Amino acid sequence: MLERLKSFVTIRFVLTLCLIASCLFAGYKIYYKVKYWGFSFAPHERTDIWTIEADVNFTANGEPIKISLAKPQSSNEYKILDEDIVAPGYKTKIDKDRVILSTAAREGEQNVYYRILLFDNQDAKGKTAAPAPQAPEKPIYSEQEKAIAEEILSLASKQSGDLPQQLIRLFNQVPPEPTVTAFLPMKKTTKNVAENISKLLAYKGIASRMARGIKLEEEKTAFSPDLMLEAYLNGRWKLYDLTTGKIGLPKDFIIIQRGGTSLLDIAGGEDSSIKFSVLKSVTNTFNLAGKRAKLSNEQQAYDHSIYNLPVNQQSAIKWLMVFPLAILVIAVVRNFVGLKTMGTFTPMLIAMALVKTGLGAGLLCFVIIMGLGLLIRALFSKLNLLLVPRISAVVVCVILIIQYMTEISYRFDSDIGTAASFFPIIIMAWVIERASITWEEEGAFNACREIIYSLIAALATYVIICNETIRYIMFAFNELNIVLLFLIMMLGTYTGYRLTELKRFRPLVK
Amino acid sequence: MFKWLSKYFATPSQLRKAGILGMNRRNFKFIAKYNKRNLYPLVDDKVQTKELAQKFGITTPRLIGTIEYQHEAKNLKDMVKDGESFVIKPAHGSGGKGVLVIKSHDENTFTTPSGRVLSYKEVYQHISNTLSGLYSLGGQYDTAVIEEMVNFSHIFDNYSYQGIPDVRIIIYRGYPVMAMTRLATAASGGRANLHQGAVGVGLDIKSGKTLKAVMRNQPITHHPDTNADLTQIEVPFWTEHLLIAAKAYEMTGLGYLGADIVLDADKGPMMLELNARPGLAVQIANGIGLSKVLKKVDKYYPKRLSPEERVAYVLTH
Ligand SMILES: Nc1ncnc2c1ncn2[C@@H]1O[C@H](COP(=O)(O)OP(=O)(O)O)[C@@H](O)[C@H]1O
Ligand SMILES: [Mg+2]
Repeated sequence: MLERLKSFVTIRFVLTLCLIASCLFAGYKIYYKVKYWGFSFAPHERTDIWTIEADVNFTANGEPIKISLAKPQSSNEYKILDEDIVAPGYKTKIDKDRVILSTAAREGEQNVYYRILLFDNQDAKGKTAAPAPQAPEKPIYSEQEKAIAEEILSLASKQSGDLPQQLIRLFNQVPPEPTVTAFLPMKKTTKNVAENISKLLAYKGIASRMARGIKLEEEKTAFSPDLMLEAYLNGRWKLYDLTTGKIGLPKDFIIIQRGGTSLLDIAGGEDSSIKFSVLKSVTNTFNLAGKRAKLSNEQQAYDHSIYNLPVNQQSAIKWLMVFPLAILVIAVVRNFVGLKTMGTFTPMLIAMALVKTGLGAGLLCFVIIMGLGLLIRALFSKLNLLLVPRISAVVVCVILIIQYMTEISYRFDSDIGTAASFFPIIIMAWVIERASITWEEEGAFNACREIIYSLIAALATYVIICNETIRYIMFAFNELNIVLLFLIMMLGTYTGYRLTELKRFRPLVK
Repeated sequence: MFKWLSKYFATPSQLRKAGILGMNRRNFKFIAKYNKRNLYPLVDDKVQTKELAQKFGITTPRLIGTIEYQHEAKNLKDMVKDGESFVIKPAHGSGGKGVLVIKSHDENTFTTPSGRVLSYKEVYQHISNTLSGLYSLGGQYDTAVIEEMVNFSHIFDNYSYQGIPDVRIIIYRGYPVMAMTRLATAASGGRANLHQGAVGVGLDIKSGKTLKAVMRNQPITHHPDTNADLTQIEVPFWTEHLLIAAKAYEMTGLGYLGADIVLDADKGPMMLELNARPGLAVQIANGIGLSKVLKKVDKYYPKRLSPEERVAYVLTH
C-alpha cells in the first residue's frame, strides 16, 4: 500500500517537475524570441520602417573626389535594415559611422545618394553613456567679453532647469535680453546660438558638443538636419533641444552625426549641399524577425526554426500549433467539468469545421445535417442492417444531404450550403451513428443532451482556435505546447470531483 | 444566489466529507490501480466468464453451446433439447442488447416469455446478426452464446415494471462492499438504468434488506407503477449472493469489480455477468459514499482470507 502510494506521489511529483521545467524553458524561449527575433505578442503588430535619403550635390573641380558623409549608427533605438548608395562610378565604402565615396577626377555637377532603412523605434532615454570627455578648454575671452559672459551666466541662473537649459532658455527669450543680443553675432542662427552656449559651458568647465539628427516624420523632403546640443553632466551625455531646452532624445528622432566631425566632407568639389528626405513605410513585425536575428547574431537558430520554412508549410504548422490547446480544452471539459461528449475529439473536429464555415452558418448547417441524418438513421434501424453497411449507408446519405444543401443554397444565394461541404463527412456520419445508438439505448433526452454537450465542447474549442491572437501566440511561441503537454498529463492525475458530480451527488449531502 | 447554488450543487468538501467517490478518483485510484488491463477479457467475454466461474464453483446459467460461424447457425436445433428454454446473447454484448430469451420451442417456432412467436428463420437471422457484431461493442465479429434460461424467482415480480431485476454488488479487494438492485419503471422505458428513471434500491450489505429507494435522485417508498412497498425488500439467500460476489475476486483477479446476480427459483443465486468498470450510481441508491467504505477495507479488513472468511467478516463487522 505504502509503495503504491509512493509510486503515485512520484508520478505527480515528476509531472510537476516536468511542468515547471517546461515553463522555465518556454519562458526562456519567449524571452529569447522577443529579444533577439523581435517577436511580439500581438499578431498584426507592425513596425515602422524609415527610409532616410541623403542627396549630396556639388560641383566637381577637376581633382580626385572624396566624399565622406556622416551616417546613423545602429543604436538601441534604431536598427539598420538596409542601406545603399546610388553613386555611379564611385568606389564606395561604408564604415561604422561614415560613408566614404571616392572616384577619379571629374568635372561638372555631381549628385550622389545615400539611402538607409531603419526600424525598431522604442522610446529612448536620451542619455548616451560614453567615455568621459576631457575637461574642455576654456575659451579665450577678452576682458569685455568676459564681463558679458558673467552677466549672461548670472541672468541665466534666474531661468529654470540645469545650466545648459537655463542658457538655452535665456537665448531664446522673447524679447531678447539686450546683453544676449550684444553677445551674439548680428544674424542669430541655431548654429551660432549652439556655438556660444557651448563656449559658455566650456567657460564653466562643462564639456559639450553638437549633434545633428533627423526628426522622423511621415513624409519630409529636402530639409537639413536639426542641430542639437549635448552636454556632459553628472557623468552622462545629455541631449538638449536648442529652442525649448528640453532634455532627451525627441520621439522619432535619429542622430546622424555627433561632435566635432562634420556632416559632409568633400575633397575635389565645391558648392556642396546636402538635403535629406524621410519616408515612412510599415511592415509586419514578424517579417523582420530574420533580419533581427541576423543583427543579433542569432541567424543560425532562426534558420533552423519553423519560421524560416516556406509560407505554405508555415501556415499548415500554424494551424497545427493551436490544437494542443484545443485538446486541453476537451480534456478539461471531460475530466474536470465532466460533460459527456460524443467521442473524445469529435468536438474538436466540429470546431475545426466551424472555423472554416463561420459560426452561424456552420451551426445551422450542423443542425440540419444532424436532423436529417438522424431521421434517415431511424429509418435504417428498422431494416436491421449490419454495422458496416449501415454506417456506410449513413455516410452516403450525409454526402447526398450535403450535395443538396449546396445546390439549394446556391440557388437561394446563401452560404449555408457551401458551409456544409466543410463538415468532415465521416465525422458527421459517425456522430449521427453515435447519437442514434444513444437515442435507442438511452432515449431521445440523453441523445440530445450528448449532442448539446458535444456542441458546447466544440464551441469552447471554437472560441479558442478561431481567436487569431491565440493562434498567433501558439505559433510564435510554440514551446508553450510542451507546457500544455505536461498540463494535460497533470490533468490525467486529477482525482478531484468533476463539476457535474457536484450536482449529481448533491442529494447525498444533507 | 449562493443559497440557490447550494440547493443544486454540493461543494467538493461536502462530498469529500460524505465520502463520495468521484469518477476521476475511481478511474485513477481504483480501476487503474487494481484492475489490470489484460484481465478485462475475462469479464468482457461472457464465454470466458462462464468457464472461469465453473472452475471456481460459481453458479451461472448453464452454457448450452456457442455459435461462432454463420454456417453453424443451423446447429441450434441440435443444441437445444426439446422443450428446453434458453437464451441467445452476444458474448461481448452490453446493456442487454441482442439478448433473445426463448421460453419454449417446437419443430417450427420459438416463443418468448412475452408470448411473441418467432419462426426458425427469424431466430437464425438473429444469430447471424449477433455473429456479425450488430449488438456488440465496437461492432466487431462476435460469438453467440446459448445458455439456459434463468427461471426467475417470483419474489421480485411485484417490484419491477418489466423484466427481472438483478442485484449489483460492488466488490473491492474481494470484499462485497455495497449492493443495490435496479427496478425498471414505465418512465425508464422498462430499462434498468438509474439516469433514465429506473428505481435504485440500496441493499444493506449485511442483510440484503432495503436501505433506501431513490428515483431520479429523490427518495421514494413505493414503486411508481406497481405500487409495491420498496422499504420491505429482503433479498433471500443473501449470504449466497455475497459468496458469489466474493469468489468473483479470486476468479478474475480484479480488485474493483461489479457482479450482477440473479435469483433462480430452483438453483438459487446465479452470477449473470461481471463488470470491470462498475458505475457510481450505487452510491446514490445507498445514500452512502463509496470512498468511506473502500478506505475502511484498505485500513482494517484482513488480507488473504478465503471468500467464505471474507463473507463472514462482512456479515459480522
Ligand atoms: N440466462 C438468462 N435467462 C433469463 N434472462 C436473461 C438471461 N441472460 C440474460 N437475461 C436478461 O438479459 C439481461 C441482460 O443480460 P446480461 O447477461 O446482463 O447482458 P448484458 O451484458 O447485455 O447486460 C439481463 O438483465 C436479463 O434480464
Ligand atoms: Mg447486464
